[in-house]
Amino acid sequence: MRRRRGRRAIRIAKKVATHAILIAACLFALFPIYFIIITSFSTLPIAAITAHVLVPSPSHLTLASYHTILYSLSPSFTSLLTNSLIFAGSAAAIGLGLAAFTGFALSKFQFPGRRTFVYFILIISLFPGFIMILPFYLMFAKVGLIDSYIGLIIPYSAGAVVFSGILVKNYMDSIPDDIEEAALMDGMGRTQAFFRVLLPLCLPVLGLAAFLAFIGPYTDYALANVFLTADPTKWTLALGLYNIANTDTGEQNYGLVTAFAILMSLPIVAFYMAFQRYIIGGLTLGAVRG
Amino acid sequence: MADLRDQTLLYRLRREWPAYIYLVPTIVVLLVLNAYPIAYTVYISLTDFGTGGRGSLLAYHYIGLTNYYLAVTSGASVSWQLIENSFIWAAGSVALFLLVGLGLATVLNQQIFGRTVYRTLMMLPWAMPAFITILVWANMWQYETGIINALLSEVGISPVDWLQHPTTAWAALFITNVWLSFPFYTVVFLATMQAIPKDLYEAASIDGAGGLSKFVNITLPFLRPTIIFVGLMGFLFTFNNFYPIYLITSGGPGLSTQIFITESYKDAFGLGGSPAFSTAAMYSVIDFLFVLVITVVVIWTTDLTRNWLK
Repeated sequence: MRRRRGRRAIRIAKKVATHAILIAACLFALFPIYFIIITSFSTLPIAAITAHVLVPSPSHLTLASYHTILYSLSPSFTSLLTNSLIFAGSAAAIGLGLAAFTGFALSKFQFPGRRTFVYFILIISLFPGFIMILPFYLMFAKVGLIDSYIGLIIPYSAGAVVFSGILVKNYMDSIPDDIEEAALMDGMGRTQAFFRVLLPLCLPVLGLAAFLAFIGPYTDYALANVFLTADPTKWTLALGLYNIANTDTGEQNYGLVTAFAILMSLPIVAFYMAFQRYIIGGLTLGAVRG
Repeated sequence: MADLRDQTLLYRLRREWPAYIYLVPTIVVLLVLNAYPIAYTVYISLTDFGTGGRGSLLAYHYIGLTNYYLAVTSGASVSWQLIENSFIWAAGSVALFLLVGLGLATVLNQQIFGRTVYRTLMMLPWAMPAFITILVWANMWQYETGIINALLSEVGISPVDWLQHPTTAWAALFITNVWLSFPFYTVVFLATMQAIPKDLYEAASIDGAGGLSKFVNITLPFLRPTIIFVGLMGFLFTFNNFYPIYLITSGGPGLSTQIFITESYKDAFGLGGSPAFSTAAMYSVIDFLFVLVITVVVIWTTDLTRNWLK
């Protein structure tokens, strides 16, 4: 009898510990996000922010920071957003187009040299993009592509090709060859079968690849900072956020930083929320299978 | 079509040649925008570009391995510090990722009330782009204006000048990095754990095995390939994870948290002084060599490429 009660106590203690661990993990995960949201709706100085973050007082909630970001930035938020969309959008489109062909060739053809090629792009894909910044800068400065749209779109697209190509290839591997063969039987050529039959089947992975290819340039600071120096009209959101958040000056305006962060994250978060199951599944698939 | 692999080279060429056409644009991109820049970086690292003191940036000369020699032998050796830091950064982060990820996945892999809610909330750091949240973390770690010190003083702990001491600067980096990555590791490990057949655990229970024994003898062996895979990928990624270091500590105080990639960026594009392109290129090359060696070891010792080569 006593023993059974002891067991029950242990079971309850275990449950309490489990929930305590999970609640702590959730608080850790959520605090910065909560901090960003609450702070973005205030214009309080740091000394007052802590109390406000712990117990938000409705009287201090204001849209002033958002107003400043949207209407009195220079270069304007709209200009930053437009540039980010131009850079990230073109890079995702170009990179994805190339990746689709690459994935198709590597998945559905047994051409001589295929293995070598896969090894080659595999190794390339593991290399950090950051070490490319210096040679790109020196190469592009020579041909006058600094401070131009093209100059930045080229390296962004190149960055997207390799990783997206591997994603598309892995996905196409899971599509049975019978489907392509049936299309060939119906009198289509291989190219036609690719565009009409295989590509539509790959839409989910193409969506994921496009999302990833978009996020890279959208949040790139390191390359844009080097390539867009003289011309603020071509600045992107990442450069704008960095300038507001720059800690060197010692005068952070938390309201502005966080409001900018939220506005800039909004499209990404919305997309992520809508396709969460899909994105997490697609990204973890390779790792789980590994 | 799989049987094609047994056919002769000529037969395969005749039948499969369109693949080359599909690959032409990608091959051009890989050669012009990957292979050439890498070769160019190697060349710059063998010159005195920006470090020759000739006044003009355009007048630079081939000087062989002089940069490398100086880097290894000079008194205040930056290179050794960078190697040490890069490994501390990558190995330390991965150890924490695995620890936190495995721990939380184990806890979540039970029948508990609100499991889905917990899992969903924990995934949220993943929804916001890392660059943005790292910038906010950089602000949160500030001595006078950061929310973390404000919260600490709220509970009676005197503020810590996080970014001014090597130990606390590393702590700030690791905590931020765990925040950025633990959702991924938790979800991957949880998914793997859920694929383990339940009857194994039931059989073990009948044999009288306890929770710990089940974890060591069933869960861990099943997770081993996943742990190795995500651990190595995480190591490679973190070895060159630029933004946390660049945005939070800028490699400081002094050089104590500087890694290859951030030092290279600072040498080439940092404020103040003339750009030391040759030194920047050299650190890129050393970084590159480390990554290459690690990658080759990964490919040889694991069957990571199995899916990709089939």
